[in-house]
Amino acid sequence: MTVESEAVLRPLPLGDEVSEAFWDAAKAGRLDIQRCRACRRWNHAPSLACPTCGSEDLGYETVSGKGSLFTWCVLKEAPAPGFRDMLPLIVAIVELAEQPHLLLSTNIVGAREEELRLGMPLEVTFERVTEDCALPQFRPAREAA
Amino acid sequence: MRAFRDRIAVAGIGYSPLTRRPERSLASLAAEAVDAALADAGLDRRALDGLATSPSMPRYGGAKGTVEGIDVVTPWALGERLGIHTHTRWTGSTNGMVTQAFMEAAMAIASGVCSHVVVYRALHVPPGSYINYENRYSVGPEQWLAPFGFSGPPSWAASVVKRYFEMFGYSRADLARYIVDNRANTCRNPNGFWRGKPLAADDYLNARMIADPMSILDCDIPVDGCAALLLTSTERARDLKRKPALLTGFSAGTHSPPTGVPMTLDDIWIGCEQVAARLWEATGLGPSDFDTAQLYDGFAPFVYLWLEGLGIVPRGEGLAFLRDGHGSLGGKLPVNTGGGALGEGRLHGMTQLAEAVIQVTDRGGERQVPGARRAIATISNGLTKATAFAISRDEGQ
Ligand SMILES: [Zn+2]
Repeated sequence: MTVESEAVLRPLPLGDEVSEAFWDAAKAGRLDIQRCRACRRWNHAPSLACPTCGSEDLGYETVSGKGSLFTWCVLKEAPAPGFRDMLPLIVAIVELAEQPHLLLSTNIVGAREEELRLGMPLEVTFERVTEDCALPQFRPAREAA
Repeated sequence: MRAFRDRIAVAGIGYSPLTRRPERSLASLAAEAVDAALADAGLDRRALDGLATSPSMPRYGGAKGTVEGIDVVTPWALGERLGIHTHTRWTGSTNGMVTQAFMEAAMAIASGVCSHVVVYRALHVPPGSYINYENRYSVGPEQWLAPFGFSGPPSWAASVVKRYFEMFGYSRADLARYIVDNRANTCRNPNGFWRGKPLAADDYLNARMIADPMSILDCDIPVDGCAALLLTSTERARDLKRKPALLTGFSAGTHSPPTGVPMTLDDIWIGCEQVAARLWEATGLGPSDFDTAQLYDGFAPFVYLWLEGLGIVPRGEGLAFLRDGHGSLGGKLPVNTGGGALGEGRLHGMTQLAEAVIQVTDRGGERQVPGARRAIATISNGLTKATAFAISRDEGQ
């Protein structure tokens, strides 16, 4: 890959010891979220210790992929060179169905700006960005959540 | 904490010019602002035995400028330049908001470590786009944001505003009056970057959108320049040239922002309320005790969120308060009387602190709130590192 073609790509996530399972699951088309084995609270972004109970016994579990629109905005200027062809870009926060205030940053796809409303039901879909990377995106839910 | 009340004072204010792309180095601008603060108090460099700032250079994605004297001015470098390093007793360099350095400076004086401390904020605007995520990969906290384009503060703030608008039925038109009034305040401020450039409501409504609903006019104006405040004990300040402004109390917030997502409306409310509760505890004051409020406006929505978090109005009513003109000069509680960071320039809260001092010492000229006895200044957005200050007129002696 030449430097020139790299410049047009959006930034890719580089997983670490704590987060790589999340990105590996996304690559396989699953939304896996960290969960505390002690208190059973879901936790995102994943961390070394549970922010609720302090336990270090954490794992990943697959979630339903259902959620609701917590908030959003519409970018009219590219936040990085790789987004220039994607404007206007809807960036959003989704509240996952599994737990109140379990929030995830994402993009909304398959919906026009004017259709969006607070709390609307959404479902996950995966966008393959490169051979090694897929990003969880959300679209309007096809059936009632 | 109340033992601390009114024992520390701000005795001098100094500014360099606030401009874009100046010919001079940031170090030169910082030295000018410090000298101006000293001269304002009738002191010279020999009196100074402390310097404090937060030298961080805000830039999101790509190269982060760190060159001493150009991008940042640390207290160590400034002490050398001013020729005071031989007698400097303490320098503070807080990674966070400069207002945390202000608190530490106050404590250095209260403890007797220092007699006269300057707190300054020097900022440089690097060339190129302020927010342009040029890195190929995003790591750490950015891995959850940058791949989705959620990599810069205007989009974070926009997502806060969108939720607020949706919950309470507001639109951008409801903020127009505040933006217009704020610019008018700037035009009455000799330090203001946008002085001489009044705005009309249509200018705001037609402004270039960056992250809908956040336009360029909802963002503070990045400037090159420096503001400096001279702190000393109230006792010493009473013998200096200017009437002092007293530090009645302060508080800092520790409410953690969410991870994996940008700041949220809900967390900003909780954080602002925490900072407020701590300020009331520290000072014995409450939300109705102020004649003017200088509320952080790195982004305009923080102004109405602080009104709500401080308990001046209930949640959801802050924007209506501004829309109905209650924050205007002559309104119930004049807000950001010097134009704040939107109009005066991005100095990360120094604008708010300096204006609080100006108001309680009757130095506001055309923008003076008549007889203002107490001013509140709040900095940042309510989340970790947010601060609040109660600044009072000196009625002692
Ligand atoms: Zn737990």
